[in-house]
Amino acid sequence: MSLRRLQNWLTGPRLLTLGIVFALAWSLSRVDWQQPIGHTGGGGAALQVLLALFPPELSQEFLRICVVASWHTLAYAIAGMSIAVALGLPLGVLASGVLASSPDGSETRRRTLMASVRFLLAAMRSVHELVWVLLFVAAVGLSPMAAILAMAIPYAGILGRIYAEQLQDVPAEPVAALRTTGASSAHILLYGYIPMALPDLLSYTFYRLECGIRAAAIMSFVGIDGIGFQIELSLADLLFRQVWTLLIFLVALVVAVDWWSSRVRRSMAY
Amino acid sequence: MERAGIGQSHPRDGARVRFSALRWSAYAAAMLVVAAWAFILLDGDSGFGDLFRQRTWQNAGQFVASLAGADSDGPSPFVQAARWRETGQLALNTLAMSVLAMGIAGVGALILLMPGARNVSDGTLGGAPSRTGRVVYAAVRVFYALTRAIPELVWAMLIVFFLSPGIIPGALALGIHNLGIVGRLTSEVVENLDPAPARALRAAGASSPKVLLYGVFPQALPLFLTFLMYRWEVVIRTTVVVGFLNAGGLGREFRLRMSWFHYDDVGLLLVWYLLLVIAVDVLSAQLRRRVRWD
Repeated sequence: MSLRRLQNWLTGPRLLTLGIVFALAWSLSRVDWQQPIGHTGGGGAALQVLLALFPPELSQEFLRICVVASWHTLAYAIAGMSIAVALGLPLGVLASGVLASSPDGSETRRRTLMASVRFLLAAMRSVHELVWVLLFVAAVGLSPMAAILAMAIPYAGILGRIYAEQLQDVPAEPVAALRTTGASSAHILLYGYIPMALPDLLSYTFYRLECGIRAAAIMSFVGIDGIGFQIELSLADLLFRQVWTLLIFLVALVVAVDWWSSRVRRSMAY
Repeated sequence: MERAGIGQSHPRDGARVRFSALRWSAYAAAMLVVAAWAFILLDGDSGFGDLFRQRTWQNAGQFVASLAGADSDGPSPFVQAARWRETGQLALNTLAMSVLAMGIAGVGALILLMPGARNVSDGTLGGAPSRTGRVVYAAVRVFYALTRAIPELVWAMLIVFFLSPGIIPGALALGIHNLGIVGRLTSEVVENLDPAPARALRAAGASSPKVLLYGVFPQALPLFLTFLMYRWEVVIRTTVVVGFLNAGGLGREFRLRMSWFHYDDVGLLLVWYLLLVIAVDVLSAQLRRRVRWD
């Protein structure tokens, strides 16, 4: 087989498959195979954890702790999401460039604005919320507000990017019709872009709320009340039955929000 | 209750039912936002007032300066080649952890691809519908829901109990959580794909592996790989977080340096973190553009 034929053969999917295989082999080569993978007695510990599920801790005072922790998690998730939407929507509008698309506007200025807002959004979402919260705690101390803001930053970055894409996907004809009536940019945004993109905007926001619950749960890892914090406390005391109860509460909370969000998404799809 | 039931049976009332569900959701969402903020602001020390104190912003400024190496004793780690090399090795471990996690999620999703799709279990895709198929389908979907609902970090907290620290426990925690996400998305792709090729193959007497290979994979694989790439972008950011729990890589070092107040070292680790994130974002975008199966 000539080099030319090899080159033709090794394109697209085959090259990708080869790349994936190499990447996996490389990652396995970085594992330290000298030391044992499991702890001594790890199997016994795993069994003990599994058996603790029958039954989980269901005493009344512990259930009360679970309910309070779930409410904390939900409240932080919703507070974080509301800031994220309040930041992400205006940034998304700026990044989409729909505001400045009037024909008389300067094209270079519009492109610079779009690019710089996009860069800002990318910077916000490049750092994980838990890294943000550790930085915030080190900088200004531990408080619920630090966790809420830490969650809001990357979420606003993601929301802004997706909002921008959804606004750009709005069909051009109705917007052009609105423009010919002499509507201002603000009017075009309020009566053209936003109403037409609303189903997509809302669906994605609800989907993110579901992720926000998980994020809020693990945020409490740094020491504010919430499901993650309670799980950490119970694990530290080796109270696996409590861990299971908390996990059940977490899964129930996520599934409830998932159900709500799919309900909303379904009622949006005409 | 009865009136609602009658209303739903009329197609013309469908829009009204949908609308009321939306309106109800809007009210509920607004109430939740108010309740959450009222609770946070009224419940003791929320830290909200600190946002408007000069001291807070001074501290934040000082912290950023020390990240950049303003108050290092001795030479800043940013100018020491040895420190760059050491932390570079940690960054490679973090990258390896993310690749391995995607491998676990990808292989798992491929194995569960067919049993987790409704149109396979009920026979739409050719083949006979079977009770076993339906039970397996339900089990796979519950498994996906559970693995997805529990965050990576909680998986990692549980896994470090059994496995010794290193790349494997972190990759496993990330892999399990992402299996739930990628698996569900991929099964939905199979459910939405055009059943005609698979049925034609089946009718021509092709065996099940052949139907999978020629009827399902060509349509489903490009989207599957796209999902994997999108998740990889998320996973590389999360790998550091999982690393906090002694799982190795940049995360572990990050947490240690943080607790020793070696903020200049933390700054160096953050630089590596951002480099990894940017590299994976660029690579993923390139690969996603290339996944055209023709």
